Amino acid sequence: MSKPPFKRIFIANRGEIAVRIIRACQSLGIESVVAVSTADRDSLAAQMATRAICIGPAAASLSYLKPEALVTAALGTGCEAVHPGYGFLSERASFSRLCSESGLVFIGPSPEAIESMGDKLTAVRLADAAKVPRVPGSDKVTSKEVAEREAKRIGYPFLFKASAGGGGRGMRLVRNSAELAPAMESATAEAQAAFGDSTLYMEKYIESARHIEIQILADAHGNVIHLGERDCSTQRRHQKLIEEAPSPFISDEVRKTLSEAAVRLAQRVDYRGAGTVEFVYDEQTGKAYFLEMNTRIQVEHPVTEMVTGRDLVVEQIRIAAGEPISFSQEEVKVTGHAIECRINAEDAARNFAPGPGRITEWNAPGEKGVRVDSHCYSGYLVPPYYDSLLAKLIVHAEDRDATVKKMLGSLKQFVVRGVPTTIGFHHEVLSHDDFRAGRVNTRWVEEKFFPSRATGHKG
Amino acid sequence: MELTHKDVASILAIIDGAQHLDEIELTFSGLRLHVRRGSAGDGGARFAQSAPAAVPQVQAQPQPQAAVQAAPAPLVAAQAAEGEVIIRAPMLGTFYRASSPGEKAFVEVGQKVKAHDSVGVIEVMKLFNSIQAGVDGTVVRIEVENASLVEFDQALIVIAKD
Repeated sequence: MSKPPFKRIFIANRGEIAVRIIRACQSLGIESVVAVSTADRDSLAAQMATRAICIGPAAASLSYLKPEALVTAALGTGCEAVHPGYGFLSERASFSRLCSESGLVFIGPSPEAIESMGDKLTAVRLADAAKVPRVPGSDKVTSKEVAEREAKRIGYPFLFKASAGGGGRGMRLVRNSAELAPAMESATAEAQAAFGDSTLYMEKYIESARHIEIQILADAHGNVIHLGERDCSTQRRHQKLIEEAPSPFISDEVRKTLSEAAVRLAQRVDYRGAGTVEFVYDEQTGKAYFLEMNTRIQVEHPVTEMVTGRDLVVEQIRIAAGEPISFSQEEVKVTGHAIECRINAEDAARNFAPGPGRITEWNAPGEKGVRVDSHCYSGYLVPPYYDSLLAKLIVHAEDRDATVKKMLGSLKQFVVRGVPTTIGFHHEVLSHDDFRAGRVNTRWVEEKFFPSRATGHKG
Repeated sequence: MELTHKDVASILAIIDGAQHLDEIELTFSGLRLHVRRGSAGDGGARFAQSAPAAVPQVQAQPQPQAAVQAAPAPLVAAQAAEGEVIIRAPMLGTFYRASSPGEKAFVEVGQKVKAHDSVGVIEVMKLFNSIQAGVDGTVVRIEVENASLVEFDQALIVIAKD
């Protein structure tokens, strides 16, 4: 084996992604030190890593969100690089900067790239400059008068969005002029409270949208490549539930346009590492628009790994060490179809209420073409302090029909006792006619699936 | 000397099985394993090490029982003996026994301390946090080396209460 890109990596995350990063380290011959809170001391990641180090109490704000503690721990354990995973500090420019200033390699893009993409309005402007079409919308709106003028130009319905935003916070739907003033007021207040920045902008609301995203990789040698798209249209309240590749919906022409646009944007911000450019695809007009860029590894990255046969986390680590991407654009081939179901510790019958607790039985499926990314095991206590993701079940087969069938079989085999899970919910969704036909947009789960279930529709 | 999770589990099993044994200390090169039976009878282990960062520090505990336990078993079941208080690290950082290099250590074993006395400092990125005794008493043990990385909640100093 060639020389590992680093000797020892610090993992500033928990759960399944910490396990995933440790596996990548193992395959590269790199030692791993994983940060754990007191609630994660007996986690699978802690058992698998070369070493686990307790950085603070259970509350994330006192552990996984503490840049100084993480950097001190990384330095104190002799690590050369820090992998932030997703969530927590992964898209905090100040954390990336603190790592570099402390002599640690941050496995991700520069603070400048994180900053420019983190501020949604800046990102939209950059996309515009890179000729990546944005949703028809405004620049920053400073007054009700400006908003009213822009509303006439953009047309109703539209969304107020927080420039510093994310996760739907500071976002308001405005259907007519009477709703404008109160919506603007509450969005401003929410953005100020959530992000300390009340800057708003406006975007045309796309009624019937699919969520398409392009995976890219960029290295320090000027190579920027894409690895195709993922379709993440199956969502509930803006949270992705099921992701697949390729999209069952878009044409090769749209695929090509979006992939090229994503590469252009990455080049524009001198991007480094793995990133995802998200687009909203308007089913009615057939046009796709830039939504945002995520400057980290994503939860759903395995879908792309399954259809391309490439290891994105390994590439991230190599790129951070200054190595070129280990394959070329021409060598990226998408084979077959892959679907990922996010298995959460939630009770679908009780409005997806999270249900932490002790897992008394954990029996995950496993066969060729079935992958389970998880940190759970029989006897594991799902702590109440963090997100409810238990596992990602990913299935790969020759085409979409075969993949759906295989997923249904794998969901049936997946046995989890002790905590509620969304396994049954996924089985119902994948059995539904609309899903099988690829007729799903981002509002389908709430507007079609749930009502059809209530009336006893047999999918 | 590398000690695996499995080794620790078997050591714990031996101690668990012994009825008369409540405390054991094993010393290897650069590694010290100190296990004390807790009041509820559940074992816990913690490693201290003398050289910072050179060898991976292992933390281990018995696998949680798959059954009814409501909370995870505490990692450090080691409890203070009657009349003793363990001062634990309130944060991860570098522990120093003196205010600066060359200065006299805040405390030594056998020294009397008052509750508000500093017994050490923990540095987190050039920010020094004073660690206070918290109780009036006498220093019984100092559990960590000067200038070593301490984890959150790690035992630092043991004080016998007045």
